[in-house]
Amino acid sequence: MPRHVHNVMTTPILKLNGVAKSFSGVPALKPFSLELAAGSILGLVGENGAGKSTLIKLLSGLHQPNAGTITLGGRSLRFESPRAAIDAGIATIHQELEYAAQLTVAENLLLGESWPRSFFGGVNWRSLHDEAQERLRAFGIDLPTHATMDQLTAAEKQEVSIAGALSRDARLLILDEPTASLSEPEVRRLFGHLTKLQARGVAIIYVSHRLDEIFEITDRIAVLRDGDLIATHATAEVTAGQLVHDMVGRPLDQVYPRSRSGALGEVVLQLQSLTRAGMFRDISLDVRAGEIVGVAGLVGAGRSELARAIYGLYPADSGTMSLNGNTWKPRDAHAALRGGLVYIPEERKRQGLVLDHSLRESLSIGFAVIANRLGIVNRRRERDMVSAALTNYDIRATGPEQAIGTLSGGNQQKALIARWLERDPGMIILDEPTRGVDVGAKADIHAHIDRLAGAGKGVLFISSDLQELIGMSDRVLVMNRGTIETELSDERLTEHNVILAASGLPQTDAPATGH
Amino acid sequence: MPPSHNIVIQYFSRVTPTVRHRLLFLLVGCALLLGYIFLQTSADDNSSFLAEVSRIPVYLAPVIIAGLGLTGIIFAGGIDLSISTIIVVAGTVFGILYDYGASPGVCFFGCWLTAVSLSSWNGLLVRCLGISPIIITLAGLQFYRGLALILADTLMPDFGGGLSIQQAAYQTPAKEYAGWILAVVVVAALVWEAYGKTFRSFLALGCSPQACRIAGLHPGRILQMSYLVGGLFLGVAAVLYVTNRQVIEPARMAMGFELSVIGAVVLGGTNIFGGEGTMLGTVLGALFLYLIGQAMLYAGVSEYWRTAIEGAVIVAVIGFDCALHRRRKLLDELR
Repeated sequence: MPRHVHNVMTTPILKLNGVAKSFSGVPALKPFSLELAAGSILGLVGENGAGKSTLIKLLSGLHQPNAGTITLGGRSLRFESPRAAIDAGIATIHQELEYAAQLTVAENLLLGESWPRSFFGGVNWRSLHDEAQERLRAFGIDLPTHATMDQLTAAEKQEVSIAGALSRDARLLILDEPTASLSEPEVRRLFGHLTKLQARGVAIIYVSHRLDEIFEITDRIAVLRDGDLIATHATAEVTAGQLVHDMVGRPLDQVYPRSRSGALGEVVLQLQSLTRAGMFRDISLDVRAGEIVGVAGLVGAGRSELARAIYGLYPADSGTMSLNGNTWKPRDAHAALRGGLVYIPEERKRQGLVLDHSLRESLSIGFAVIANRLGIVNRRRERDMVSAALTNYDIRATGPEQAIGTLSGGNQQKALIARWLERDPGMIILDEPTRGVDVGAKADIHAHIDRLAGAGKGVLFISSDLQELIGMSDRVLVMNRGTIETELSDERLTEHNVILAASGLPQTDAPATGH
Repeated sequence: MPPSHNIVIQYFSRVTPTVRHRLLFLLVGCALLLGYIFLQTSADDNSSFLAEVSRIPVYLAPVIIAGLGLTGIIFAGGIDLSISTIIVVAGTVFGILYDYGASPGVCFFGCWLTAVSLSSWNGLLVRCLGISPIIITLAGLQFYRGLALILADTLMPDFGGGLSIQQAAYQTPAKEYAGWILAVVVVAALVWEAYGKTFRSFLALGCSPQACRIAGLHPGRILQMSYLVGGLFLGVAAVLYVTNRQVIEPARMAMGFELSVIGAVVLGGTNIFGGEGTMLGTVLGALFLYLIGQAMLYAGVSEYWRTAIEGAVIVAVIGFDCALHRRRKLLDELR
């Protein structure tokens, strides 16, 4: 029987009745019903693979349901295409940013709409840019509308995407992980706009793995697990613990495990006055064996750029680096790997994985010992090592031949980590390793990182999730505009202080909130 | 606000830096080659620079105009490998109409319409079958030449492999108006590109079909449209190609024509996988390739070597360009 959950608010604008979706007979969403009132914000949470994206795709016209009805504003609708959903008043911000990279910001903002025409029938470019500028300004964004999208940073692209969706006169707004690339001030700005839209009667579905955001912005929370609607809660009446229990089906005791002894060894990685023009300057730091050093900062602070320079993707202009006491100047990533330094990149899909490859191929690409000197792969050894990696890292898949692109984000990330660690590197740099990863997988990844440090590896840990950064790190370096603003540890290591330092402001004696 | 209200500046502001560099490279390259040809013709009593320049439209018009059409298709992420054999079918239709005593205007229109129809048919197949454009049009490359031979053999009882066009009136477009037609088509294409939405939609589709879909556009419809637009240009190219020949031979005509056109498009900075490029680049790419050939002719390079070098030039120019901008591209990739 479909589960029925009614929103307490009046005048439901969206009604899902017995909606279900399956792919090749495998149910992605089991029949369920849900109502959403005008002017309310529904949080949608669940682990990766729980069915959140499928539900969003049904509502945005990318998929069609196998059963059930969708009613919007009293009209029963069947969205044959995204156009039909847009015309019905549904605007969606998808998790995976999709944009025309070589087209301008203005063109992307108005893609799919009619463009202003000149007297002679051609595009009135001036009006087009004016219109785009107006839409950006309405959301407090100041970007050149004539810049092509590929000239923007990830955060700016996300902002353009959000501005495009918010500027549509939508009755239902769906946001899927909208803050993945945003810094704290940008998140605040987004929430401000959502509150205004809510006051205008727009119904909003907000999907996020960040439970603090869910608790802050939503009225009610719906939990999906394995394609089933497990429960809906009034936000004010539920705790994070209950929510996590509903999501993973088990209590999650240790989100930030700390099994390591805390004893630190020799300095593994040391940087002195490392500078690269336009990216970072005068960076000095050291990471000891068994230590997790967190790196915080706003988007664009230079954290990832620094990590890539250490990994040898581009050289520094000045300054020195040493690894295990030896001068460290890798020519490229291959040299870095051979030297015992591993970097897990920020954008796993674009920079870390070949999505069409099988899990076996994706893992064994990093297994140096499976091939002999002639490059001939020992298949049995490969199979054994892949099986061991799947078990040790708890990578959930149908088998080693499953395409890695079809795994959930958490399992992709675990595979990416498992791939390189067989080489037993002494130093590991992790760049946003839990971005877009569900809470269960996040806890698993944290446990792996803790074990790595416990085994005497040096870990440089970049994250925008402050709770995670504070929970996992022994100390945190806060970057601002390409430099290390401050180092925080012990009682000074609080979210409040990290945010102040990342914004270039002096610390205060605010009460600790995180450690 | 755009950087300027001047349409020329706006046009170039919408072009990616990579393509802008390529345009500059080709512009300088063409100027240098023209300078070299000027010096050679000045030193040779039997040659005239003006005569050399006046020959350019006759030889180049079909390549440039077909290239403009193909550029739009490649913008959208498609390709048409069968353009040469579409011209063969269009030429055969021209020959049949001529053989049946049709007036020159009817022959020109029949030729143009055939090319437009077949290009549109390719677009329809690509959209409806959902098969890669490269496979569909590769099949078309073979199929259309066979179709032309069947048509000629069936409809012209006295067809013996070739049809001689004797009357000058049937060759007017290429022999007398090639330069004007080329100028009008190029200007029209550039104006369309600068002021129209059509080619921006093609580019958007080439960049990201999913982004177009999410924005409420219809990717299949846009891709099909690119073949129709390409056909409009290809029809004109077919008329100019066919009317520049004394004999129409379906079995041998336009061999390798598609490679010259694709070479010009790619050399002009259009990304072969779609989403990036300009019409202007295609014009300059075709001109550069032609001038390289002519310069080698004046330099006394043998025909065998010329063909090989022209191929190498495409790789060399693109490789050189990529090497110059590798650093920037790497940084872009890492952003």
